[in-house]
Amino acid sequence: MTHVKAIRPEVVVAGQDPDTAGTPQGNGRAGRPIVDVHGVDKVYNNGTVALKDVELTVKEGEFVSLLGPSGCGKSTLLRLMAGLGDVTRGEVKWWEQGYDVVGQKGRKLAFVFQNATLMPWARVRKNVRLPLDLNREKGPDTEQRIDQALDMVGLNKFGNAYPRELSGGMQMRVSIARAMVTEPNLLLMDEPFGALDEMTRNKLNDDLLRLWKANGWTVVFVTHSVYEAVYLSNRVVVMAARPGRVIEDVPIEAPYPRGQEFRVSTEFAGYCRRVSEALEVASRQGEEANS
Amino acid sequence: MKSPLLENERFVQIAAPLFVGVVFLLLWEAVVRATGTPVYILPGPVDIGKAFVEDWGVLFHSLLMTLKVTLMAFAISVVLGTAASLLFVQSRWIEVSLFPYAVLMQVTPIVAIAPLIIIWVDDTTWALTVCAVIIAIFPIISNTTLGLRSVDPNLLSMFRMYRTGRLQQLIRLRIPSALPYFFGGMRISTGLALIGAVVAEFVAGTGGTQAGLAYLILQSGYNLDIPRMFAALGLITLTGITLFALMVWLSDRVLRNWHESALKVEQ
Repeated sequence: MTHVKAIRPEVVVAGQDPDTAGTPQGNGRAGRPIVDVHGVDKVYNNGTVALKDVELTVKEGEFVSLLGPSGCGKSTLLRLMAGLGDVTRGEVKWWEQGYDVVGQKGRKLAFVFQNATLMPWARVRKNVRLPLDLNREKGPDTEQRIDQALDMVGLNKFGNAYPRELSGGMQMRVSIARAMVTEPNLLLMDEPFGALDEMTRNKLNDDLLRLWKANGWTVVFVTHSVYEAVYLSNRVVVMAARPGRVIEDVPIEAPYPRGQEFRVSTEFAGYCRRVSEALEVASRQGEEANS
Repeated sequence: MKSPLLENERFVQIAAPLFVGVVFLLLWEAVVRATGTPVYILPGPVDIGKAFVEDWGVLFHSLLMTLKVTLMAFAISVVLGTAASLLFVQSRWIEVSLFPYAVLMQVTPIVAIAPLIIIWVDDTTWALTVCAVIIAIFPIISNTTLGLRSVDPNLLSMFRMYRTGRLQQLIRLRIPSALPYFFGGMRISTGLALIGAVVAEFVAGTGGTQAGLAYLILQSGYNLDIPRMFAALGLITLTGITLFALMVWLSDRVLRNWHESALKVEQ
């Protein structure tokens, strides 16, 4: 017991040094904005106002969750951040190194969908290399990068398997490997673990946090689950529906790495309560707008 | 005690229909003999078998003619049908403008337009082929078009995110997605190509060295050579079954690694 106690402070220090010291996000870098959503409205052709006057800045190295009731436009917002679809009003800006607004080529986005969205006719390796093929990136290190990505999600033995031979959780991991292989500076995830059972989901949450730390990603994560949002994020952005808008931005200041202890801590419960209350308000506002 | 052969799925799949067939033929023969039905009304399987062996030379020659028209029509249908589908998915306008005409071609009875085509096209083989193409091409067009459109919308979003061009989208995404539909279309199309070839020949009534199985049936009917008529009919059926089986085999081969249709359910 004493042995463990003696070691623990060291581990924490090692975890904080040198990156994490002195940053509010706890994940390193200076925190420059990487995507900036400014005054955005999104109205669909049928007149539905999906988003109304949304402001959101995501900084480099952050893990931001978008949380809200159905129809609050969180997926729409994520798609706009990916450059899929046009805004009705306002603008979405992406930053590269040195604060330059970059064109379509320079920003490296990766998107992970709600289902694994793999090509069923292609083996795992070919699925993972798809973004490289589409970007016409073919270097001497391509194969190595694919190996690395598969290693990181623990699927290095399954490169030659077809998607249907894998379980749902494994398919999702292939999907994450496919996002990783591009070394994205912004990873957008749309309820990626929503269809999985809780145990697989918790496992993948931990995997995701590990990869996020190891690679210094910036992640925007859409979810339905308060617990998932609190467990993963630096910031939980709560949205309300009709029209879709941001109503609260809750910072989660618990240190990483977070593990099982965090899940059962009073701190975690406190954050969950705060976020749930915000969500409650969001749902009520949505209903009032509806009636 | 159960025989292990009866638990073999493959064996049962072949043996069970075969057993039904044999029982049917035996019954047929028994009824024909018991009632003393003359051969020119209804020959028994034994008489038909005899005709098969004795007239094999004529039958085989006719089979080759019919098969030639069928395969040519099928090949042309696959090539033109696929080309039409690729054209259709290029733009909604093209599809909306042209698809009704593909339907029009499909619903017009081939028997009604075959005489016209035989007048217009000099070479009989080609005339028959054109008739067969007219009915065999539709399933290829409609299935392949449907397949090229049945793309996972999220995968399509991903392609858009990477600003992928149309050609890349087509090669990497649409064509593989369309394959199961395409093979489904091919299965129907082979049968239709054969039917088209036979029906057109009935209308054309081609004789001489060009005679196919349809003409053989007509001629045997005039001569009251009913066993030979049955033998020719049997050959048409056999050809159809073989072509269909070939298509099933081909699509299983291509799709077996990934598509549900080709998966064996594990016990």
